[in-house]
Amino acid sequence: MQHSHSMEIRNPGPFQVSGKTRSWFMVFVALGVVAFGAGLGVDAKRTWFSFVHNHFFFMSLALGGAFFASIQFLTSAMWSAPVRRISEAFTAYIPVAMVTFAILYFGIHHIYEWSHPSVVKGDVILEGKAGYLSIAFFMVRNLVALGLLYFFTRKLVGNSLTQDVTRDYALSLKNKGLAPGFLLIFAIGFTMASFDQLMSLDPHWYSTMFGVYCFAGLFYSVLALLGIVTVLLKRNGTLAGIVNENHVHDLGKFMFAFTVFWAYIGFSQFMLIWYANLPEETGYFMTRLQGSWFYVTVFLLVGKFMTPFFLLLPRDSKRNESLLVGVGVFMLVAQWIDVLWMSQPELFKEGPRVGWIEIGTMLGFLGLFGLAVSRFMAKHNIVAIGDPRLAESVHHHHQ
Amino acid sequence: MANATQTPQLSGVVGFFNDAHVLIEATKKVRDQNYQFFDCFTPYPVHGLEAAQGLKRSPLPFVTFVAGLTGGTLGYLFQYWTSAVDWPINVGGKPFHSGPAFIPITFELTVLFAALSTVGAMFLLNGLPNTRRKSVDPSVTCDRFAIVIERPPVVAEDDEKGQAKQAKYKRFDEAEAKGLLEKLGASEVRSVYAEGWF
Repeated sequence: MQHSHSMEIRNPGPFQVSGKTRSWFMVFVALGVVAFGAGLGVDAKRTWFSFVHNHFFFMSLALGGAFFASIQFLTSAMWSAPVRRISEAFTAYIPVAMVTFAILYFGIHHIYEWSHPSVVKGDVILEGKAGYLSIAFFMVRNLVALGLLYFFTRKLVGNSLTQDVTRDYALSLKNKGLAPGFLLIFAIGFTMASFDQLMSLDPHWYSTMFGVYCFAGLFYSVLALLGIVTVLLKRNGTLAGIVNENHVHDLGKFMFAFTVFWAYIGFSQFMLIWYANLPEETGYFMTRLQGSWFYVTVFLLVGKFMTPFFLLLPRDSKRNESLLVGVGVFMLVAQWIDVLWMSQPELFKEGPRVGWIEIGTMLGFLGLFGLAVSRFMAKHNIVAIGDPRLAESVHHHHQ
Repeated sequence: MANATQTPQLSGVVGFFNDAHVLIEATKKVRDQNYQFFDCFTPYPVHGLEAAQGLKRSPLPFVTFVAGLTGGTLGYLFQYWTSAVDWPINVGGKPFHSGPAFIPITFELTVLFAALSTVGAMFLLNGLPNTRRKSVDPSVTCDRFAIVIERPPVVAEDDEKGQAKQAKYKRFDEAEAKGLLEKLGASEVRSVYAEGWF
């Protein structure tokens, strides 16, 4: 309509993360390596559990960035044009996640009991799954899936970056065609990753909803991260005149919506297992409702769901940047605890343990993620300046 | 119709606009005039118009929230009463008071109460169904935008409160209001007479 302003949009260019922040990321990586190394000496099992926990958490953020961007391409979304590049920046971590997954090879025997032939032998269930749960197949299929996802992400993000220069509308259409391909592989690949890397920590147990539960957590956390980074970049003036309070509001709505979605999926998984009460299914929740894991389970209900739900419910709070950042950080912590809750009970039945091993490993992964994303941001424009829908979105008023 | 032969009562003046942007700018000016009653009519939702009109936020979300909480609470309590108090039946060996089993219905009743109350409150707040007034002109549902400046109801001389209230606003004058709308770029300006719905 009359929103087409001929005004040229200021290109904020690449974004340089401050040297101080980058130094912190490097310190985190160093701390992580030290904690991981020392942890292997002290308690190798616990350290590898922490490794797979953090690997999965940060891999989800990176894949989530690609997922968010691809649904924007697929739907030809206008509102998200100014923030889409930020989610594309998260994908810079995907190759690192491939490396950390490869490193997991050395920890397989510590955390996956199906990897020991002596355990499998004589166990009817594990013998039945032996064809699927074999070390070689486990490594190959996960690396292939991550590789395919990375390949598609490179194409999608590459087209988006080329468009910064050429401003060619055909690239938007190209990405619209590529996005379903990515999404199909993402749906299968990420489900497989969650089955393999987390669910098989207890190889006797299975839940067909486990993949979608992990996906709900993935989108929950990536939207929180996107909200945080967007607000920070808007506040320091990088996105001034490009992102307005309506875009922030939209991100807040997304965070709210997928808080509800996560709770819906989490409850659906729980209720079906609780109702059917089948011995081979209930073990997972029995462990998590006993000892001090019970309080973590309660935290997931009250903290991960209800807290963001009621905080983000009013319109004004979704337009309140400080509140959004606070809730976003809380949501990321909650998701981290959720992944802990999915993995660690297989090792410590009596309750969660978060010590220097867990925190140190987490910092190491955080440092890697921060470095990968800041490197991307320093190399490429922080706004998809060639996107044909950007102009409309910048002058976008809506409710 | 007994009144048909009488002069129809003036209910206000209307100005038609062909462009949503002109409408928004004109609306801001009309708002600044501080008339007691004016309204805009558009064929589709125009973003930013409610701000130009100076409309306050609707209390509707609050109704939804309270109704949702009420529905959820009642839904849960009702299930508790039927399953654990009034007529306890052993289902699958589960406890009579089985929270997880109650959640889907609790959720549904939250949504039901919230949705129905929202629709009901929306009708109430909008004064619907409206049997009092006709549309200003069919074209506002098609290709034109309109601002109507309404004539406030006549307040009796001895009604001090009513008089004081009207004194806070700009006095309505037919010719002046018409002139204003013309000045603001209306393509057509005319007086509106009360006709009623039927």
